[in-house]
Amino acid sequence: MEPKGQQRPAPATQATPATPAGVQLAAQLGLVARGDAVAFDAVFEQIGPSVLGVVKRVIRDPAQSEEVTQEVLLEVWRTAAKFDVGRGSAMAWVMTMAHRRAVDRVRSVQKESERERRMATADIPYDEVAEAVESSLERERVRRCLNLLTNVQRESVTLAYYRGYTYGQVASLLGVPTGTVKTRMRDALIRMRDCLGVAE
Amino acid sequence: MRLNNTGGDAHTLAGAYAMDAITVADRNRFERHLTVCEECAQEIASLREATAMLGAAAAEPLPAGLKERVMAAAAMTRQQPPAEEPAARTRRATAPARTKADAGSWLRSLGWPGRMSLALGAAAAAAVLAVAVVFGVSNGGMQQQLDQAQASSQQVAVVLTAEDAHMMTGSVAGGGFATIVMSGSRHELVFTVKGLHALPASLGYELWLMGPSGTRLIGMLPAGSNGMIGPVVASGLRPGDHLVLTAGPAGGSVRPTTPMMLDVAL
Repeated sequence: MEPKGQQRPAPATQATPATPAGVQLAAQLGLVARGDAVAFDAVFEQIGPSVLGVVKRVIRDPAQSEEVTQEVLLEVWRTAAKFDVGRGSAMAWVMTMAHRRAVDRVRSVQKESERERRMATADIPYDEVAEAVESSLERERVRRCLNLLTNVQRESVTLAYYRGYTYGQVASLLGVPTGTVKTRMRDALIRMRDCLGVAE
Repeated sequence: MRLNNTGGDAHTLAGAYAMDAITVADRNRFERHLTVCEECAQEIASLREATAMLGAAAAEPLPAGLKERVMAAAAMTRQQPPAEEPAARTRRATAPARTKADAGSWLRSLGWPGRMSLALGAAAAAAVLAVAVVFGVSNGGMQQQLDQAQASSQQVAVVLTAEDAHMMTGSVAGGGFATIVMSGSRHELVFTVKGLHALPASLGYELWLMGPSGTRLIGMLPAGSNGMIGPVVASGLRPGDHLVLTAGPAGGSVRPTTPMMLDVAL
């Protein structure tokens, strides 16, 4: 982990998984694509908890979350050959798959009214990150970067990413125009990306 | 919503798309747009590195049995084949051609010499990078890290770039994950491990070769950086050898202490 405030060097290429863990994960996926069960075991150990974490944030229901987590991890096994190392890190590839599947599940299954009610009683979703089971440096970094966002940016990101809302739903929850939310979401992610020092 | 190649609307949707915060219909439209807007595709890729970290920050322990269920399902699930290689990249095509070519182009994009990338299999190529990162200073550029890796690790590079280099992996009992790249023709291997538990000061990790022709100590593992230890080079491999990791007295031991925390047949 780089010390806070240090100048980030210009990345050699976009979306390079330039950490030992990232490189190893990408290498492991290469082996998984060839049917290597030992490598899949290792990949599982590295990504499993993150997959469950993000799926559960969105879906909430533990049993459904586990079901979707299993689906996602099996999908990693099934489609490992589709992972393109030139298109980003292995972690981003997996988490994209996990988040999308969770969101799709929620939107197809849960009734909107039920979600609205749940939302109304929920805390500001920024605390999603604070709910975390154990503290870690990564988590601290994410929290610190979220803190650098404006309120609307932060709420747009947390409602969309951790709750699985569309930008239209976020707009009505926050009482701001949809165009504003779209812009805030993009600005927020760009700031998060730069703050976290990932990719370009 | 209107999407066109240069339209501002498509660009502002990037954030919402990267977080799946759009309806399925909008998503499909945006994905069609991505196929013709390389700039947008690159932006999405970079934003997804950020969303991945948002997701990873929510990580939590897996419930018992989940892994077993997935592993069992995987054993019965046929994997999708990779996409066909474009003709220009099939010159050296041998299975698995795609991953090999990808690793090569990845290395070249990082400034690694073409000669070297061509000589590498996918696994070995990735291992070179892993090694390069271990050697690199924390705030150095990738190129600088690679330069350092090349300069400081000729012996490692020789193994990794051997024609018959292949990669093996193993989980360390009690935590940790080892990656081994071995060249049978050179009778050498390169060992790295990450995530090993810290041992009390009186103990140290020891790496051994054990086989029909005897047990040899390769050495105590050096201190790691960023949780990654190595690369360690082991020479003089003999047929039937196993690579074994133990935790022994910090002063060194004459023979491996039990339990063996990693045992990989070479």
